[in-house]
Amino acid sequence: MSDTSEGTGGLTYDKSKRQWPNELNVFAALILIVIIFEILGAIFMQQSLLFDSRDRFDSIFNEARLRIIIIQVAIIGIIAIGVTQVIITAGIDLSSGSVVGATAMIAMSFAQVAEVNGGPNPKAIFGDWALDLPVVVPVLVGLGVGMLAGIINGVLVAYSRIPPFIATLGMMLFARGVAQWWSLGNPVSFPTEGYAKIGAGMMPVIIFLSLAVLFHFIMNYTVYGKHTYAIGSNEAAARMSGINVPRHLVLVYLIAGGLAGLAAVILTSKNLTAQSGMGLSYELEAIAMAVIGGVSLFGGRGSIIGTVIGALIIGVITSGFTFLRLGAYYQEMVLGCIIVGAVALDQWQQKRAAARA
Amino acid sequence: MNKLFMAAGLTMLMGTSAMAQQIGVSVARFDDNGLTVMRNGMTAHEEMLDGVSLQIEDATDDVAKQLDQINNFIASGVDAIIVNAVDTNATEAMSNAAAAAGVPLVYVNRQPVNMDTLPEGQAFVASNEIESGTLAAFQMCRQLRAEGKSGGATAYMLMGQLSNQAAVQRSKDFHDVIGMDMCNFITLIDEQTANWSRDEANDLMTNWISSGEPFDAVFGNNDEMALGAIQAMKAAGISMDDVVVGGVDATSDALLSMQAGEMDVTVFQDLAGQGAGSIDTAIALINGEEVDQTVFIPFKLVTPDNIGDFLQ
Repeated sequence: MSDTSEGTGGLTYDKSKRQWPNELNVFAALILIVIIFEILGAIFMQQSLLFDSRDRFDSIFNEARLRIIIIQVAIIGIIAIGVTQVIITAGIDLSSGSVVGATAMIAMSFAQVAEVNGGPNPKAIFGDWALDLPVVVPVLVGLGVGMLAGIINGVLVAYSRIPPFIATLGMMLFARGVAQWWSLGNPVSFPTEGYAKIGAGMMPVIIFLSLAVLFHFIMNYTVYGKHTYAIGSNEAAARMSGINVPRHLVLVYLIAGGLAGLAAVILTSKNLTAQSGMGLSYELEAIAMAVIGGVSLFGGRGSIIGTVIGALIIGVITSGFTFLRLGAYYQEMVLGCIIVGAVALDQWQQKRAAARA
Repeated sequence: MNKLFMAAGLTMLMGTSAMAQQIGVSVARFDDNGLTVMRNGMTAHEEMLDGVSLQIEDATDDVAKQLDQINNFIASGVDAIIVNAVDTNATEAMSNAAAAAGVPLVYVNRQPVNMDTLPEGQAFVASNEIESGTLAAFQMCRQLRAEGKSGGATAYMLMGQLSNQAAVQRSKDFHDVIGMDMCNFITLIDEQTANWSRDEANDLMTNWISSGEPFDAVFGNNDEMALGAIQAMKAAGISMDDVVVGGVDATSDALLSMQAGEMDVTVFQDLAGQGAGSIDTAIALINGEEVDQTVFIPFKLVTPDNIGDFLQ
């Protein structure tokens, strides 16, 4: 039953073969998950997940919960923006969590305050010269360390032809070692007031969403974006059409590393401390956000918007579990099932769409 | 007072009359924070004692190296050996080597796997993990009572990694305490894991706050999670005077938070005390005294009243 119509320029097109953008499917899944939690909440808790069922706010929504849903995924979401670009090139970045750990320790060492409760800072890493520095210093150090790790990843992947999985696995172990070595396992605490503002309140969300908008445009309307998709779809074709593939890959990994470094700065600022174990398994959560959001691990397919919705899905699920007071032991089991289920559903839809076309 | 002087005089007499006692010490690693505190406790105690000389070596986290060190101690004729085991599953060989040579052996801080079959002349010095969670939970209960909430109070608990023994034990301790008659006015609203992490605890606490359920106390299996909860509560505008927050570890971050009037309770593992206790136990074994196979060094409760003793 094909219903042909007249399109622009006298071309005909088949309405039945028209596809929804993939992001709409992911968004529908988000709405579905919210509805499931609302139903379970009404049955078991006599409360609503997203709406103000206790008259605590002036609005119709439970604002506190809406905020935490995004706050708790914002920092890993920033990493996921970079990881999305890496995956679109058909690569992978396993190092982002450890890079967060190493960057956290190093950047925080330049953000420490001289006096705590009227005494000297008991956690000072360097001498007086590194205390009470302007905020811009630790931020630049953080971005720098992250980008350095990214460049190394990129060079290894692009020029030595080591598979991304192995190259970034090496960086994952190396960076975690750096994080532990930096202060021999000691936490680095007590940042300056200025540094503490970077990750306070809704700041992680504002930074996350601004970066998402920025990279949405970059990926869709710039040469950088077109080349990234081209390399992921068909690297040989991209090379033959004149794209400097190795140089572009280094750039992609550099951006991913820089975003991981920025995430570390925000994370340490939010928590007022840096610890060598920080960022543990963040790389997997970031990959999960991208994959749930419809980014294909085979490369060439996916979008920043999809990843943002993927992050929101994880945020809704995390808050939903706590809202339902689901036992801690069951949460990870259910989360594992949801991630596999989401990708299976996506694959099935792709196949169906391909069969129709 | 006289008795004290007599006792002091007596030990000095004994110290000078006997030959200097050589004790060999093998520590799992020198670059670990906690173990460094323990090691410093040992050397400080050595200086206080007369006629005791320690030889402390770093096993650099190497099981084979540690066993070599012990055999070297035996060969050089030390009077006793203290071991902070690299791998608690590898202590059988150490026990056998020391027992065969007739040298007293004291394990410190890490419980040897052959605890039940320790030979004569060997002992284990550590803190009893059951105490830490119980001390913190009970103090929180007392504080809630003192604030006049004994008619009914609600609490949240942040658990460590669910696969970790300390997390399981401390969570059980909390349940045991709120099961006691004196503390059963406390109702646990919810318990979830935040994997020892300040960031996860911050987000989890914010989630709990968003449910709007009023609460009076938050217990973290460690200080880091308690601090994360405090940051979440402060961000939500909850006064720290209205909530009793407890943790375990007495980290310097936690002590400074307590000093600032936020954290209410934490528990200090007396690692320096463990180091000193291991030397006392070794000396008792050398002198052929009756020694319990397990010597517990008590945890210390830290509250705003005695925080001065713990801030350096």
